[in-house]
This record gives sequence, C-alpha cells and structure tokens, in this order.
Amino acid sequence: MSANTLFNDSTVVLGIETSCDETAAAVVMGGNDVLSSVVATQIDLHARYGGVVPEIASRAHVEAMNVVIRQAISQSGVPIERIDAVAATVGPGLIGALLVGVAAAKSVALVLDKPFIGVNHLEAHLYAALLDDPHVEFPMLVVLVSGGNTLFVEMRGHGDFSVIGQTIDDAAGEAFDKVARFLDLGHPGGPAIDRIALAGNAKAIEFPRAMMHDGLDVSFSGLKTSVINYVRKNPTVSTADVAASFQYAVVDVLAAKARKAAQQIGAKTVALGGGVAANSLLRSTMTTLCAESGWRLVLPSMGMCTDNAAMIASAGWYRLVADGPSSMDMGAMPNLKLT
Amino acid sequence: MGQTAHIVGRLDNFMIILSIDTATDGVSVAISDGARVLASSEMRSEKQHAEVLTTMIDFVRKQAGVTFGDVGAVAVDIGPGLFTGMRVGIASAKAIAQVLDVPIIGVTSLDILATAVSETDDVIACVIDARRGEVYWSLYRYIDGKLRQVTAPQASTVEECALQTIDRGQATLFVGNGALRYRNEIELVVAGVLPSFEFADEMAALPTAVVLAQIAHERALRQEWQEADTLVPEYLRLPDAEINWATRSAS
Ligand SMILES: [Zn+2]
Repeated sequence: MSANTLFNDSTVVLGIETSCDETAAAVVMGGNDVLSSVVATQIDLHARYGGVVPEIASRAHVEAMNVVIRQAISQSGVPIERIDAVAATVGPGLIGALLVGVAAAKSVALVLDKPFIGVNHLEAHLYAALLDDPHVEFPMLVVLVSGGNTLFVEMRGHGDFSVIGQTIDDAAGEAFDKVARFLDLGHPGGPAIDRIALAGNAKAIEFPRAMMHDGLDVSFSGLKTSVINYVRKNPTVSTADVAASFQYAVVDVLAAKARKAAQQIGAKTVALGGGVAANSLLRSTMTTLCAESGWRLVLPSMGMCTDNAAMIASAGWYRLVADGPSSMDMGAMPNLKLT
Repeated sequence: MGQTAHIVGRLDNFMIILSIDTATDGVSVAISDGARVLASSEMRSEKQHAEVLTTMIDFVRKQAGVTFGDVGAVAVDIGPGLFTGMRVGIASAKAIAQVLDVPIIGVTSLDILATAVSETDDVIACVIDARRGEVYWSLYRYIDGKLRQVTAPQASTVEECALQTIDRGQATLFVGNGALRYRNEIELVVAGVLPSFEFADEMAALPTAVVLAQIAHERALRQEWQEADTLVPEYLRLPDAEINWATRSAS
C-alpha cells in the first residue's frame, strides 16, 4: 500500500449507502470520527411483501436521498465546502438501488471538485466495529453475519484481508428471516426471533448443527428445514421454544466456527459485523468465548451493525489513503465480492 | 408540473441551464444559456447510464467554458422511461441542484419528444417503449401556434394507444421509440381509419437534452421550477409487487 499524503486524519468524507433498503448518508473525519450518521429506513414499505422489493427500494432511495444528505451535512456541523471526498457503496447489492447512491455521490463529488471513492459494502461492514474502537491489534477475525452474508474474514491490516470461511447456502440472517416468516413473526426476522426467544427455552428442542467438524464453512439451510419439519410434526409446540432453540443452534455454530477460525489465524482481536451482530445471544456468547480465550472482542454499537453510511465513509477513507480515488466512470457492481 | 420554489433565480433569459436526459436508451447532456446551446453530448449506449453520465457532464461543462458556479438551474427528464436508467439522471440532477443550491426543472420525456416536432396540423402521438407490449404515451397538438398536451400521459397496451388516436380521427404523426418498435401493430389498427398517418424517423425516436434545454428555458422565465428535494420521477407504472399486491387484496 502506498501512503497518500494528500489525505490524513483531518480528511472529511461524505459517505452514501443505498445498497438495500436503507437510504443513508454520514460525515466521518479521519476514518473513525463520526460527525453525523443519518439512516432513513424503508422497513415499513417492504414489510407486507415479506422481503425487500428492489423496485420499491429504488424509488424510495430517489425520494429520500437529498433530504438524507442534507441532514447528514447539517448535523455534522461542517459546511459542504469542507467535504474532502465522497464515498458510496458500489456493491454488492440491488443494482437499481445502488445506482441511485452512486449517481448522487459522483455528482456531489463532481460539483465540489473532490474525489469519489467506490466502496465495497462488505469491506465497510468490516470497518463498522472499528468506528467505536479504532485501535485494534491485528490479526483480527471479523465474523460478518447479515441477511446476505455469513463470512469469516482474516484481517491482517487495513485493506489486507481474506475470506477464510463462509456459508455454503443460506446466510445466517436469511435463516432468521425465513424461520421468522414461517413462525409468522414478521419481517425483519432477526429482532423478532431475538425478542420472542427471551421467553423460550433454548434447550427445549435439539436442532441439528451442520458441518460442525468440517473446516470453517457453515450451512443453515438444513437447520431451517428441520425447524419447519419439527413445527409441522408438533403443531402445539411453543413458538418461543422453537425460536429460542433455533437461535441457539445458529449461535452455537457461529461461535464454534469463530473459535476455530480465531485459533487458526492466531487472532489478537475478534470483531462482529452485519445485522446479526445485533443478536443478543450472539453478542453474549462471543463475549464469553473471547474472554475465555484471551482475544479482545470488538462489538459494533447496535446502529453500526445494520446498514449505515458511517461505515461506508470510514472504509472509503481507508481506501482513499491507501489507493487514492476511484474513477468517475465507475458504475454499480451488484455481485461484488470481498477479496 | 413545477410548483414555484422559494428560490430567487435570475430572471433574464441568459440563465445557464445544465440539462440531463437518461430516461431511455440514450444518455445526453447539454449546457445552454437561453439564446443557444453552449455545448452538448449524446450517446446511445448499452453501457449503464451511471458509468457514462458523470464524465459526460464534466466534458460538456468544460466544452461550454463555464464553471458549475455559473449554472443557474438544472433540468432533467423525469420519465416515463426505463426505471433504472431514468433514476440515474434524476438522482444526479437532484444532487447537483442541491449542492449548487439552484432550482430544478423536471420535464417529461413525452413533452421533450413532442417539442422536437416542428409546427404541424397533425396530432402528435408521443409513444415511448414501456416493454412487455406496453407503451407510455400522450397526444399533442399545435393550437394557435402553441404546442398543447391534449391527453394525460398514460401507460397502456399498444393497441389501446392506437385506438385512442382513432377516436380523434385526425391525421397523426407517431413519434418515439415505442412508435417505431410497434409500428406494425399501430398500422394494423389505424390504416384505412385515420385520414393519414406517419412515423417520425429514428433520429427523433429518443428525447434529448438539447430539446429539454429549450423547454427548461421557457419554464425558467416563468419560474416554473422547484427545489431538488421535492422533484419526483414520473413512472406512470407501479412496481410489479404493488400491482400484484393490489390484485391479490382485491380478490
Ligand atoms: Zn449490509
């Protein structure tokens, strides 16, 4: 990585995020100092469809974008002329949704005559935990668990990482959503299951843990199926017990794989990221595991687990310092991977 | 269209306007000052509009020899058209207007197509391809030398559009990529029924920023503009999920 001396701790980045169903903008200075972070969620617009509808998401982004940018800038207390660079999520995500943020961000950068930075949404999730706690020791294991991803990432330094394990089918958050829909708990499923599980017995039902002993990959599709089969065979079962036992199985698998991954890379630090990082059982289980194993655990604040633009601005700042700006010809990359 | 915004713009006819059109397969940008187009660029591209547009705006601005600070208003084609493509231009125009703190002028793609047709006694049927056998369309006429939209814009089958031109029973000029794509279907309906009909050629099939700029200057003189936050696209069609939902709820 080449040091880019033009950009430093006083560099102010406007971040924009529109990859899924949150329209977000944030102003972050020097990579970690969050001056503002505004998120306009569309959860209510999609709730009745049981999932995010791409065209509805794209329309909502266009309508919310200007207001969200305006709020982020005014809440940051810095005048718009003080913005040094504009970062936006270029992928992965919904193509139509991504394009709204990319088009807006490049336009703001063009008019202000400042650099544009295209940010990988997954890389931004890696940085979300560091926003509250930037001075970590590497190597660091990041467990990135969301509706779209379940990744175990070895991070050797800023911008230097590799995926060492992942789901072979459903993402953890996807399993939460599907089981919640089946149990009629609504969308998004993660918070709903977390809530009702508090009233249930996690050991009531022994759901299978797939691939516990093979490497660092995970699988949640079989677990989801066995939950569905169990409830069909036992229609009078307590929904709270099912939710608690299902959640326990997911967290058990994630924690076991995290332990194995952290040992394998000789981790000094372990961080969580993504929407499922807000799950209370995962947070407490990882807290215990890391305390026992002597790894420092970095937990993102609740607002930084789900999609936001502060993490985009932060990842953008690290990219800018390391590699310089992106091309203004950059479009959206809906299938972008974490590499 | 276009409520009066609480923005005091320059009222002379020499306001510099940046015009952006990405509502169809074309991407085009123009910078004009009311008297003339200072620079423009246009392309038909299979590439995503977002990859082309920002660089094109910068190129046209430099060619025009103006700074962004000189721009007094931003104009944009608000559709109807291809949803993803049109949003690229709209999101860009809104962001630029916001940062420059200037008003925005939204013009429909149908108005732009009609304005490109020189004065005629024919009915002008502007027809944009909406895919899936449907078109976005509206009828226009020159009345006392002024172009008037005589039907509300709508999305319908090609046949429905053709039938409505028959209702008027006047010589008709069909304009737009929808008219050209469904030329045979339209001819089947109107041939022998309308006194005469014609199809404008490929050159006039897509809306362009240069024609948009002409409309924008007329509207700017009347302060028919708005603040960037309030500008919304003209889709003319609900998202599929909403249509399905409504159908299911109704049955
Ligand atoms: Zn995310």
